[in-house]
Amino acid sequence: MRLAANARVVAALGRRSVKQTFRRPQFLAPILLFPSLLLAVNTGGAGRATEIPGFPEVAGFLDFELAGAMLQSTMLVGVSGGIALALDIEIGFLDRLVAAPISRSAMVLGRLAATAALGVVVATWFVALGLVFGARVEAGVAGVALIFVLVSLSAMAFGGLGAALALAAGRASVVQGIFPLVFVILFLSSAFFPRELMLEPAATVALYNPLSLIAEGIRAPVIAGISAGSLLEGLFGIAVVGGLGFALSALALRRRLRTG
Amino acid sequence: MPAAIETHALARSFKGDVVAVAGIDLEVAEGEIYAFLGPNGAGKTTTVRMLTTLLAPTGGRASVAGHDVAGEADAVRRSIGVALQEAALDPLMTGRELMLLQATLHALPRAEGRRRAEALLERVDLADAADRRVGTYSGGMRRRLDLASALVHEPAVLFLDEPTTGLDPVSRLTIWEEVQKLNDAGTTVFLTTQYLEEADRLADRVGIIDRGTMAAEDTPAALKAGIRDPRLELTIADGGADRARDVLTRFGEVAPAADGRVSVSLGGGRGQVAAIVRALDDAGLMMDSLDVVEPTLDDVFVAKTGRGLDDQRAREQEQRERSGDEQLVVEPARQ
Amino acid sequence: MSGRIATVRALAFRGLNEVVRVPGAAIPSLLAPTIFLLGFVSMFGNLTELPGFTSDDFVSFVLPVMMLQGAGFTGAATGVNLARDIEQGWFDRLLASPAPRPVLLAGMIASASVRALLPTSVLLVVAFAIGADYPGVVGLLVALVFVAAFAALAAAWGIVLALRFKTQSAAPLMQAGTFMAVMFTTSYAPLELLTGWLRAVATVNPVTRVIEAVRQGFVAGEVSWALTWPGLVAVAGLGAVLVALALRGMARSGR
Repeated sequence: MRLAANARVVAALGRRSVKQTFRRPQFLAPILLFPSLLLAVNTGGAGRATEIPGFPEVAGFLDFELAGAMLQSTMLVGVSGGIALALDIEIGFLDRLVAAPISRSAMVLGRLAATAALGVVVATWFVALGLVFGARVEAGVAGVALIFVLVSLSAMAFGGLGAALALAAGRASVVQGIFPLVFVILFLSSAFFPRELMLEPAATVALYNPLSLIAEGIRAPVIAGISAGSLLEGLFGIAVVGGLGFALSALALRRRLRTG
Repeated sequence: MPAAIETHALARSFKGDVVAVAGIDLEVAEGEIYAFLGPNGAGKTTTVRMLTTLLAPTGGRASVAGHDVAGEADAVRRSIGVALQEAALDPLMTGRELMLLQATLHALPRAEGRRRAEALLERVDLADAADRRVGTYSGGMRRRLDLASALVHEPAVLFLDEPTTGLDPVSRLTIWEEVQKLNDAGTTVFLTTQYLEEADRLADRVGIIDRGTMAAEDTPAALKAGIRDPRLELTIADGGADRARDVLTRFGEVAPAADGRVSVSLGGGRGQVAAIVRALDDAGLMMDSLDVVEPTLDDVFVAKTGRGLDDQRAREQEQRERSGDEQLVVEPARQ
Repeated sequence: MSGRIATVRALAFRGLNEVVRVPGAAIPSLLAPTIFLLGFVSMFGNLTELPGFTSDDFVSFVLPVMMLQGAGFTGAATGVNLARDIEQGWFDRLLASPAPRPVLLAGMIASASVRALLPTSVLLVVAFAIGADYPGVVGLLVALVFVAAFAALAAAWGIVLALRFKTQSAAPLMQAGTFMAVMFTTSYAPLELLTGWLRAVATVNPVTRVIEAVRQGFVAGEVSWALTWPGLVAVAGLGAVLVALALRGMARSGR
């Protein structure tokens, strides 16, 4: 009974979060549009990069870039989720939820479910885009399924970071201001270019950047095939980001509830 | 003397065949205060936006200060001052900056603009707050600033769209006094309001607008006189109510009033009161209280439109009308 | 006439408030182009190893792109701010005044041009610090003029969309438009090295001419009329179209 009631709360909150994103073009568009545009420019402008000595064996530069675009997209899911949460805080919706007899876990799960759903949208969009423009997923259907799982998990992990930011700052404009930072972290990873061919000092940073692990985890099924090694690395990267996000969220939420 | 504002069959419809204003004729004389009274969604704002050149009419025509709003928009803009609903002020500017910008927009020479800005800020009691950002102003201060900014170029015709909506009683009174003073100095004022008290107190003439058409138009007194006679309301001391009713029927139509009182219409005017009191006295009936109740503009409104002034559905209609198309949810982001 | 200049100045100054008076608001737009520059150089720096790449210094090569990108986003922000002004009713104040519509437009556009010089300055300092070639005084001036002009174009684009949609929800459209305009050019590599469709688009995209005009000083170290005039023509042509559209949008705003 309690479980069913909780499930209904989770579903309702999740639905609201998804609608929040889909009803506002200024939220949804950046998530899909900007990574798609960057993908287009990257493949068009740097497409010949595959000829550089040392570039990994790939069918095309688009195949290589897809993972980066998906990763960027999930990061934007996290930022926009953070903006939505900050707006909820600004208009007092969060207080209403906290005041309601809803378990904290239901609140968190509702938002996570919505984020995962957006992750599925992201994966669908970019896999379709890739296939239309001639990329190939080497690992086939199983590879596509794996991409969906990794992208959804990655969206949830960044959703946690976005939520932490929103809970700590409590203002949408601050969360929005973090936007450029998304690119810094991303550019300092192997999301868009092989780590070995990047310039120093970025190449060294990319080596320790968990985003490199996630990108390479998503990329492996596209350009090579399913391998336990890269899958585990990808999951590890997601776990690092997600763990950080949820720990910070918990801290920020506790502080917010204590200080009112 | 030419009319300050004149419209003929002025109409405006929006996409999807939403008719906001369905043919309005009105004439406002120079030096008059004219109040447009109606609930949200009646077409008040749409009419004002057409008269202030912000919205093109889809039918009929209108002239302000002798200039056609469609063909001679620039001449109209030079003659009018505009303070629109929910004072649109930039929170990042200071009050003085706004006044100077407004002077610049009206191409006043710099020194002249400064002089008028100072004088007006002083006049609306904002001189001390002039260098603070508008974002820190209270609602009443914002409206006063908005009003002052509409006066920088000494317009012949002043448009005020719901100048006191949402204000506290004191701020409202301040605005009323200022509008009255302006009018005394010769400014024609066209204001919209959903407050009967405001129309009653300020306006020389009132137009009642409902669903885009003019339901009635006259001086407040004539409007009130036109719908029904004043009534005498009485509280009869214990047990005499039935007998009192028999007496009162001789004078006019009798009806029960609130709190167990009884009321009678005064078809022959207030002069009847003395006769009624005598008759009740002759019948040995004691009265605890008596009041003459004049009809209010509210009564006029109900009589003319069949509805009260608070209509939630109409409120929503106004929302759509203001934007011209579907509203999107919007974040207050600054870039 | 002096009254009109005063109006342009007053509106331009108001536009600057957005960055000067909101604490922290300027930081993202100020730093974004620099972040892009550092990121692109780190990732794609080795593209210069491709045979046929006309420069051996990727920083100098992409710096002009990032300057225009910063100008583009500043211009788009002008559009977003106008959309907000329309939503909140502020724009009615301007429209109900007798100020000529081209003057109102010029005021908004001028603020974008001035604002665009802020991110560009940060960008130049960082770029020179990491080894971009100094283009000489003339080269720098030419670059700055084009940056200001491109910000004006982007602002006009944003204004056209703001007048059309009247909502801040149109923001991604404004930003994506300027992003594509700048990036679908010879942004990453010389024309010959671009792949199929992008080469076709970059060839006809007038902004390619603007990029080449800004780039000449940084890459070749000198300014030539041959690389400057196509840029000027592109700016003038785009400007004529966008300003005409914006004025039409203003005239139709009450329809």
